[in-house]
Amino acid sequence: MSAEPALLSLTEVAQAIAQRRFSSREVTQSCLERIAQWQPRLNAFMAIEAEAALAAADAADRAPAKGNVGVALHGVPLAHKDMYYEAGKVVTCGSKIRRDFVATTTSTALQRLKDAGAIRLGSLQMAEFAYGPTGHNSHYGAVHNPFAPDHITGGSSSGSGSAVAARLTFAALGSDTGGSIRMPAHFCGVTGLKTTYGRISRAGAMPLSQSLDTVGPLARTAEDCALLLGLMAGADPEDPSAIAGPVPDYAAATREPIRGLSIGVPTAFYVDDLDSEVAQILDDTTAVLKREGANVVAVELPDQRQLTAACQLVLAVEAAAFHKRWLIERPGDYGPQVLMRLQNGLAIPGVSYLEAMRWRGPALSAHLAAVAGVDAVIAPVAPVAAPTIAESDVGNSPDAEAVIQRLTRFTRPINYLGLPSLALPAGFTRGGLPVGMQLIGRSFDEAMLLRIGAALQRATNFHKQVPKPA
Amino acid sequence: MTRPSPKEIKAMADVAGVPVSAEVATRIANSIGPAFEGFAAVAGTLPFDLEPAAFAVIQTAKVLK
Repeated sequence: MSAEPALLSLTEVAQAIAQRRFSSREVTQSCLERIAQWQPRLNAFMAIEAEAALAAADAADRAPAKGNVGVALHGVPLAHKDMYYEAGKVVTCGSKIRRDFVATTTSTALQRLKDAGAIRLGSLQMAEFAYGPTGHNSHYGAVHNPFAPDHITGGSSSGSGSAVAARLTFAALGSDTGGSIRMPAHFCGVTGLKTTYGRISRAGAMPLSQSLDTVGPLARTAEDCALLLGLMAGADPEDPSAIAGPVPDYAAATREPIRGLSIGVPTAFYVDDLDSEVAQILDDTTAVLKREGANVVAVELPDQRQLTAACQLVLAVEAAAFHKRWLIERPGDYGPQVLMRLQNGLAIPGVSYLEAMRWRGPALSAHLAAVAGVDAVIAPVAPVAAPTIAESDVGNSPDAEAVIQRLTRFTRPINYLGLPSLALPAGFTRGGLPVGMQLIGRSFDEAMLLRIGAALQRATNFHKQVPKPA
Repeated sequence: MTRPSPKEIKAMADVAGVPVSAEVATRIANSIGPAFEGFAAVAGTLPFDLEPAAFAVIQTAKVLK
């Protein structure tokens, strides 16, 4: 076990605090020291609440841990994407418009983590209103990739990816509407779980697209994601879209072997136009799966470009509708890129939007039929590793729009289908940039993805790589 | 389904109560055009009785049994 508590996984540190091997203060102090070291380079935090965090840690150390699920995160310091409402706290949503917005309620996801004993380190940077895939933010500055500070983190959960990778927080909530958890996980070398639409309540989370938004964790391991999902999943009277079915034992699933499971590799789309190093890492990952006893088979998926298009139609309209009042009253307070994306939704007829919504059922049916013979599908999260901040800055690079379009290609179809997807570190480029793969599952079968992800992480060390300060 | 022209986009934005300039309308047309083209094969082909709620029914078919 590491002598520096901040370098432990979430699961390890929760156990260490419960067993009194570390106090919550020692753990919190360790995180704060790393934050002080890294924040000037990364810009990952929106707010750092050191004094309050240490006071909460001291309170946790005075209260004996009971060792049951109600205190699974007793005294563990965490920070989350700055779009989860916490009563009495400023929640900027990465925007100028909400720079001074003080929430009056606490989001269900956050409350469930607090109920489990987690304490607050502060809040994390994000793309403005979660509407950007790179990590740029014209109001608060770009977030930097800990493995290569000139490169993007991915977005919109940019601070979550950066902070988890640099070991500034053990885990962080993100949100995924078009790839916003999986892209930062891929670019920053951490594990991110895009949950099934309806798996975790979105009450008190800033909305972007009511039909596509999902809540999920970024953490260091699949085991950590399983711990957090188990705490947050389940019905919520505040969000009728959160389904009332039973919540599986996700942690137990991570201990299951994968021998005999079938994992599909798409024959097209997700394997087209890949950077050669990403293609090699996909091959390397499937080789590991085979060594662990899984059967890797080819799978032919329906046309993913149509799913991407439908996702864009739904997202654009719903985002524009949420923002319409501010588009009228405060257009100058948006960053130029976010304003442009929001304006796109004004030009899509209602009939087109509803056609895209009506097609979701048949599209999901067709997908489930195509994957009937496999337990999960594996695919790259993106065809490339992280581009530089400069080359993906639309305001400064004429090629930036093309660069950005390429980034979101492999994530949006999954949002349209509402499926779960676990992104996990799978390798590094020769230049030292992380590359992630995503495991795509059936609706509400996160347990299968966490089982496969944990097996991959038992067989590899990519998730254990810690970025070094320059 | 054809992509809307800048002129049509300008009219739709006006009706939505968020007017845009001709330059912005052209930019929007270029930006959303690929989505219309990508969805063209599906648009206008869906059966009469298909409701958006079909998605939730299919999604939860197993977990809510």
